[in-house]
Amino acid sequence: MRKRALLSAVALSTALALSGCAAGASDGGSAKGGSTVTLTFLTFETPNLTAKYWDDAIARASAKVPGVTIKKLVAPSADPGAYAKQLAASGQLPDIMASVSPNGFAQAGQLASWTDAELTDFVSPHSNPINGKIYQLPYNTQPIPLVYYNKADFAQAGITGPPKTYAELLDDSSKLKADGITPFVVGGGGKDTWADMYPLIAAVGADTYKADPNWLAEKAAGKAKFTDPAFTKAVAKISDLAKKGYIDTAGLSRSYADTEQAFRDNKGAMYPMGSWFAASADARKPSFDIGVFPWPTDDGSLAVPAYTGGGPVVSSKAPDVDLAKKWALAFTLDKTSSDVSVKTDASIIAIKGYTPPTEVGPVYAQTVDLYQQAVKQNAIVNSFSVETGDGSMPAGLAGKTASGVADLISGKTNADHFSAFLDNEWAKATQ
Amino acid sequence: MAATLTQRAGEGFRAGRPATTPRNGRRRLTKALHFLTFGAPGLLIYLALVMLPIVMTVRTSFTNRNPANPPTTWVGLHNYTRLLHDSDFTGALWNTVIVSVIVTVAANALGLAIALLLDRPGRLYNLLRSVFFTPVVLSSVVVSVIWQAILADDGLLDTVLRNLGVADPPGWLSDPDIALYSVASIITWQTLGFCVVVYLAGLAGVPTELLEAAEIDGAGRLARFRHVTWPMLAPAVTINTIMLLISGFKAFDQIQVLTNGGPGNGTTSTIAFQVVQTTFTGNHIGYGAAMATAMLVIIAALAVLALRILQRREVTL
Repeated sequence: MRKRALLSAVALSTALALSGCAAGASDGGSAKGGSTVTLTFLTFETPNLTAKYWDDAIARASAKVPGVTIKKLVAPSADPGAYAKQLAASGQLPDIMASVSPNGFAQAGQLASWTDAELTDFVSPHSNPINGKIYQLPYNTQPIPLVYYNKADFAQAGITGPPKTYAELLDDSSKLKADGITPFVVGGGGKDTWADMYPLIAAVGADTYKADPNWLAEKAAGKAKFTDPAFTKAVAKISDLAKKGYIDTAGLSRSYADTEQAFRDNKGAMYPMGSWFAASADARKPSFDIGVFPWPTDDGSLAVPAYTGGGPVVSSKAPDVDLAKKWALAFTLDKTSSDVSVKTDASIIAIKGYTPPTEVGPVYAQTVDLYQQAVKQNAIVNSFSVETGDGSMPAGLAGKTASGVADLISGKTNADHFSAFLDNEWAKATQ
Repeated sequence: MAATLTQRAGEGFRAGRPATTPRNGRRRLTKALHFLTFGAPGLLIYLALVMLPIVMTVRTSFTNRNPANPPTTWVGLHNYTRLLHDSDFTGALWNTVIVSVIVTVAANALGLAIALLLDRPGRLYNLLRSVFFTPVVLSSVVVSVIWQAILADDGLLDTVLRNLGVADPPGWLSDPDIALYSVASIITWQTLGFCVVVYLAGLAGVPTELLEAAEIDGAGRLARFRHVTWPMLAPAVTINTIMLLISGFKAFDQIQVLTNGGPGNGTTSTIAFQVVQTTFTGNHIGYGAAMATAMLVIIAALAVLALRILQRREVTL
């Protein structure tokens, strides 16, 4: 009896072990059977880009591309790139990924590139090339940052209009402070360290990139250093603003959401932020009118930092790469999705012939006007640290820069040390 | 009993009996089969889900694996020598030690004090035990979000302090000199309930006869605690110290949510946080694996050392 029980147990264990092996031998869910291919699609959810937004957009794209079944994956945070890296490290890179920077993945041969024929519908088809190839659909443009300001605070401090030069910005900040108003609202607390970056991105755009649009590529090629005066000048401006008390250091413990709320709650007059804030400003208008201006240059010439990209990337290991690209294009070119993106994320859609919905709000309209002025004047520059593609920052350095900016604002470091710190971190990141 | 068994075995040997008989052999085979049948699945799962990843991590730590910079090559001990000169890693190690020491000492001391206060019958004390244990069952992320709302510069605590007339209250999470201690305090708060429960269990195991005997011998409250209760709590101290040390060294969630390693560059970065940043943000998978391996070795060494020291003073009845 005992022997029989023992034999039964052995048989059961063997069966379990074998069934485990069988399950482990499957392809992880990317089934390719009959005429339907299952593709995984990495998305991320925010208060603006809800589960319903993604589900509806996926359904519309799938209706246009028969033979595809999309399995939606949702990143655990609003940073799908970090999650994609974790998945890639365990060999589970999704087939299609929304808003994931191709940097790192493309160089490792993990992404499929787009052909010129596939990019004909885009306004800037050759944005952010990596080794001469395009890996991310250049879906939209975002000025990063512009300075959104409280018109009532400006009026109260006797300021008649937005500053045109950097000297005027300093003068206006002085007037605001004298009137008991904190000039700048800046964030960067908790997991949102990145939110303290925008004044620096703006200053680098207006000073360093305005003078030399390829400055970062030169740095990547070893022809420039952060400690060069061309870069340090911009850093020194942020350090100076903080020293003068124009930047509220309390912001360093505020999350991104709390930072936006602080501006809404009138805890500061100016809010340097990406153009996506326009959607929020229009959808939930605060008690004051909001204006927008670009971070001023010394001589008053226009410089608007902007980034074009944001579309999906496709894995080179997708079960059917051509079909995955076709679906990603259908998803990106869908007019309804673009309309939703305009309303929820203030996207400036970079698709030829696209016209935004007529009911856009005033802050979005001002943002687009400013961007178009800059396009006409050939005054678009890159957004420092946001760039992807050749000559952009190595992985992880943007986060280090953000942590350095916190030290700069809190007075723990100065412009020279900050710049030397960046050179050192760059060397470590590329080691 | 042990001596008797040894003696019998010795007798058997002296009598010249063979060490194994066919019957003993069958019994051993049956035992081995039993072990394989019932133990093997668990062992296989353990090997596959615990040991194999550790072995793979150690193996990766000897490479320069970086998906953005292929190909992956063997670099020997380079990653480990680099650790010694990497200020990010040494800074994170120092932060981790500070957090671990604060958490271990503070949670042990407060946990013992609270356990002594709650070690009495009654519904109120039962309720209080549950209250103190609640943070333990909460997710670290939830706890961190709650504390962020309290400790932010325009959060609850500073608002109260301002209303009480403090003009410039501390930046609990934004001041680089304070943030690490704030994080350590929050981890202490969250692990306190665990300590209290372990000490309460230890106090329940202190024989009342010993306490009564000490009282009859004239020992006061403090003397009874010092000479009876405290030695009897040694196993609880061991458990708490080891668990808290490990918790301190593994601190990640709270850092990620509360400070993201800042304010500034790495002022609250711990080894676990640095491993994730290096591996997944920086793409340096080989180097991150070396950090993770170093962390494993440090935790294991500290745990064994602490265990040896603490077990020496444990009392066996």
